[in-house]
Amino acid sequence: MAERNVASRSSRGGLSLQQKEARLAWLLVSPTAIIVFGLVLFPALFSIWISFHDVGLQNLGNVLEADFVGIQNYRQVVTDFAFRFRGPRDWGAAVNSVVFSFASTILTLLLGLIAALVLNQRFPARGAARAVFLFPYVAPIVSVAFVWKWILDPRPAGVLNDILMGLGLIQRPIAYLATRGLAMALVIIFEGWRYFPFAMLMILARLQAIEETLYEVATVAGATMWQKFWYVTLPGLRYVLGSIFLLRLMWTFNKFDDIWLLTGGGYGTNVLPVLTYQFSFQSYDFGKGAANAMILLLILVVCLAVYVTVMMRDTGEV
Amino acid sequence: MAKRVSDENLTFIEHLARWINWPRFLLAITLFFFLTGILFPFYWMVSSSFKSYQEIGGTEPVYIPSALRLDAYRELFDPSHPRFQEFGENVLNSVRVAVPTAIIAVILSTLGAYAVARFHFRGKEAMLNSILIIYLFPGILLIIPIFAMLSQVATRLGFSVQDNLPVLIFTYLAQTLPVALYMLANYFRTIPGEIEDAALIDGCSRLEVIWRVTLPLSIPALVSVAIYTFMIAWNEFLYAFIFLNNNDLFTMPIKINAIFNSPSFRPHVVMAASTVMTVPVVILFLSLERFLQEGLTAGGVKG
Repeated sequence: MAERNVASRSSRGGLSLQQKEARLAWLLVSPTAIIVFGLVLFPALFSIWISFHDVGLQNLGNVLEADFVGIQNYRQVVTDFAFRFRGPRDWGAAVNSVVFSFASTILTLLLGLIAALVLNQRFPARGAARAVFLFPYVAPIVSVAFVWKWILDPRPAGVLNDILMGLGLIQRPIAYLATRGLAMALVIIFEGWRYFPFAMLMILARLQAIEETLYEVATVAGATMWQKFWYVTLPGLRYVLGSIFLLRLMWTFNKFDDIWLLTGGGYGTNVLPVLTYQFSFQSYDFGKGAANAMILLLILVVCLAVYVTVMMRDTGEV
Repeated sequence: MAKRVSDENLTFIEHLARWINWPRFLLAITLFFFLTGILFPFYWMVSSSFKSYQEIGGTEPVYIPSALRLDAYRELFDPSHPRFQEFGENVLNSVRVAVPTAIIAVILSTLGAYAVARFHFRGKEAMLNSILIIYLFPGILLIIPIFAMLSQVATRLGFSVQDNLPVLIFTYLAQTLPVALYMLANYFRTIPGEIEDAALIDGCSRLEVIWRVTLPLSIPALVSVAIYTFMIAWNEFLYAFIFLNNNDLFTMPIKINAIFNSPSFRPHVVMAASTVMTVPVVILFLSLERFLQEGLTAGGVKG
């Protein structure tokens, strides 16, 4: 479209018009470009610089004169007890982050797939159900995190405790978010609950684009419901599932709010974004915080690379 | 004929038995499971907000509040309440941040997206790609350098980074503009260039064309960008949490966090405040859902 426009116009007005348009284009883009460069790209590069310097509260107003400390910040991070893997009972933030992100992403994808398949059926009030299904994703994170915390209240008067004790499933109240293992499982379930609508929307859009004739052929060939799902629906969804997985993995890996609000990173749920916050804004060691953030980014890139390679090998496409 | 008569004589259970089969049963069960799981937390939030302190702190949970008590809401909004939280001010702060973010984002992304959709210029691809990389960077990584950088600038120019709502607006713009620009550019590409060419030949300037031709045709996309950016700014926690220290300037999420973590036990007030924060977004969303389809999938509410 744009090419055709330029072509038609340059034949009318010649090069000068094209130049004029290019200048106008830059003028139009520049506010966005300046804000995004100033507050995203430059800071991203600047954080590499910070990670090699000793930056704390004392020299925050005068960062550029901070001492160069080489890889000392990195060394401090990888030897930090909160970061390192210290046996099966204490995974450390690095391993936690990987487990948390992959498990949450898979759960999000599964719930999203089931929800999309359900909403793709015809039933009364489907439109209303579809709107309700989006609630967890639309509501503010602070509200939903605190409702969950309140439902998971550790006292006997907590709702979940009351329900489970009433059903005889547990004998005494459980401190859900203050129990190692259970806390991790619950933050993963929370992520699935909150983000499945995103996956659902994207899968639903793709489902509606799968050709009806494929199902008709399958029906004529005598395929069962399960076979239709496995041989028609799933292959049709392969790419959309792959891209949702990538996006959600990235976002979950970078997520701070959810875990911070639910557990504060305690009880075996500390992840790298929360640890970055703790280094930077609780011990005010910005250099160490930046080094931690760079390691986070590095692990994320490695995970993405592994995922992409494995996926491509599996599907036999390069 | 005889068959129809027998149909009418069936009881409800018989109807059900005839109607039900395995796929339908599975569908009903799954639907029930999802709806309960989604709606219960929201029910619990709203119902808890109407409970009294006694109902909240009892030895058993109260599933249905005995009356619609406004204790929690009075604590938030009524100046005569002994524990008055001045929550009205926090609501206003959220509005003061979210509304300008949405308006500025719509204006700037419209201009940028138009250029991207209609013009060829050197560096366009590079710019678009670098904007995409933003998806990769965690907010927490950016906040350290932003904080260090702005402190530097702020000491020179004599303003404060902390407790400065415009600073917050700029950081939200940086987070939302790339996605907004993408959404709008994709939409602008669907508008045929011929319509604009006709206006150009009639003697309109480019900006007039944007204003009179392109924008009126793009209302759905503009609405979804506005809602998307508004919601991001309304819900945002991390940047506000770090940049705001002064109680009077807290946005709602930060205030709710403060009430939740205060030493006194006030879940009903937290739930009331959460309800106040959640209801507008959900209403906004439901009333404009048809516009938002694309926004939710294309942009994702990143974060």
